[in-house]
Amino acid sequence: MEYVQTLIYGIVLGSIIAVAGMALSLSYGILRFANFAHGDLLTAGAYFGFVFFTLLGWPMYVAFPLAMAVTACLTLGIDRVLFQRLRQSTPVILLISSFGVALIVRAGVQLAFGPDTQVYARGIEFPMQVGGLRIKPTHLYIVGGAIAIVIGLHLFLRRTKVGKAMRAMSDNADLARISGIDTERVIAWTWLIGGAVAGASGVFLAMDTQLHPVMGFRLLLAIFAAAIFGGIGKPYGAILGGLIIGIAEEFSTFVISPAYKPAVAFAIMVLVLIFRPQGLLSGVKT
Amino acid sequence: MPLLEATALVGGYGGADILHGVSLTVDAGEIVVIIGPNGAGKSTALKAVFGLVRVRQGHVRFDGNEIANQRPDRIVRLGLCYVPQEKNVFAGLSVHENLEMGAFIRTDDIGSELARVYEIFPALNERRGTRAGDLSGGQRQMVAIGRALMLKPKVLLLDEPTAGLSPRMIELIFDRIKEINRLGIGVLMVEQNAKFALSFAHRGYVLAMGQNRFEDTGPNLLANREVAEMFLGG
Repeated sequence: MEYVQTLIYGIVLGSIIAVAGMALSLSYGILRFANFAHGDLLTAGAYFGFVFFTLLGWPMYVAFPLAMAVTACLTLGIDRVLFQRLRQSTPVILLISSFGVALIVRAGVQLAFGPDTQVYARGIEFPMQVGGLRIKPTHLYIVGGAIAIVIGLHLFLRRTKVGKAMRAMSDNADLARISGIDTERVIAWTWLIGGAVAGASGVFLAMDTQLHPVMGFRLLLAIFAAAIFGGIGKPYGAILGGLIIGIAEEFSTFVISPAYKPAVAFAIMVLVLIFRPQGLLSGVKT
Repeated sequence: MPLLEATALVGGYGGADILHGVSLTVDAGEIVVIIGPNGAGKSTALKAVFGLVRVRQGHVRFDGNEIANQRPDRIVRLGLCYVPQEKNVFAGLSVHENLEMGAFIRTDDIGSELARVYEIFPALNERRGTRAGDLSGGQRQMVAIGRALMLKPKVLLLDEPTAGLSPRMIELIFDRIKEINRLGIGVLMVEQNAKFALSFAHRGYVLAMGQNRFEDTGPNLLANREVAEMFLGG
């Protein structure tokens, strides 16, 4: 039973990593650089949720989509101010710039909300007892929300014109340009979707634990590990990668101190990079 | 005045020039073939027309517009579409999605173009849902040409459309190009199967060392002894 309980915690953490990893992988496929600011976009999203839900007292079903929308706008704004000017630069310049963005966003959060931890709601949340298992309502919200986002993203990529163009550009950017696809418009949509999903993962993360200015950055390693695990640039692979890393991190607490949880993600990432650098699902095309 | 007119193009990929004064014209509804030895600048000339190679000197005029060094999305809007030789399909997208992407800039109904492409290439109709990357080389070429047809082009630029295909498939692709041409679409193509291509082309250009060498009707070029000896393998 203890193992099943740990599996539940793993699935909750894994869902958060999976959704964040999906957004990271999607943006990598189109923008062709590893966005180190992705973790701090989670943080931003979590704190936007804090503003709407805790400070303004709006219900979560209002605060959550609003946090997603504002994070999306912030992400697009960062592109307009910075990344758009660097479109022709090499990936390493973009990567370093994204690191700068990460620091700026984190510092901004710290200036606005202080360096201390905060929570969405004070008080103890009583878990439901289901056949000897403890399940908190927030766990259900997180997993349910993650599933909804995965399905929504899937439908967006498969059914909408912009979504298909995003897959096309990820597949073959030169051909997309030759076909007359407005690549700047596709990039703008990529940032909006990536930012919204990052914001959602941030709110999930804050619901699961607590708010802190480095909360997203601490998870960045696991998010990258998930994206690489599934084959970076392939959003569907990151779902599996995220779940496996989340579950592996939780189960590692049986053997090693919980303080080393991030090391598990790191170890998995190193192993994948050594033995299967193209990602586990590279044979499966999206 | 020709529909497409490239005049004295000089340019290349940024280093040394590859084109040293290439001129080409395509009239509405014409099939024009560019042949020549390897390294003559055939594909480069085609790319220069489509804005993919920097044109340092010279002009490209299409349907009354100067298009040298223009962005592809502007050029395709004017009705000039390009099919590259390699990596010319979205491998991860289905056949149908590839065609839809060809019509990305259109906001009107694309149903009649889809129907037309499936009519020209019935093999694609049976494989609408198949990933383009899983198709045979010939079928991929059909998707690539079909994708370019989705914008109702006035002229199609084809870079070696039969490269690497079996003789039967080469015949089929050429047959389909003739069919597309019968719809009134002009075709400018670079082709290795020079004899075959010249046999049905209205006109042909022989390029060598980045310059025009010969220019004549298809049958005349085939009959030209010098061209035959130098470029058609006797």
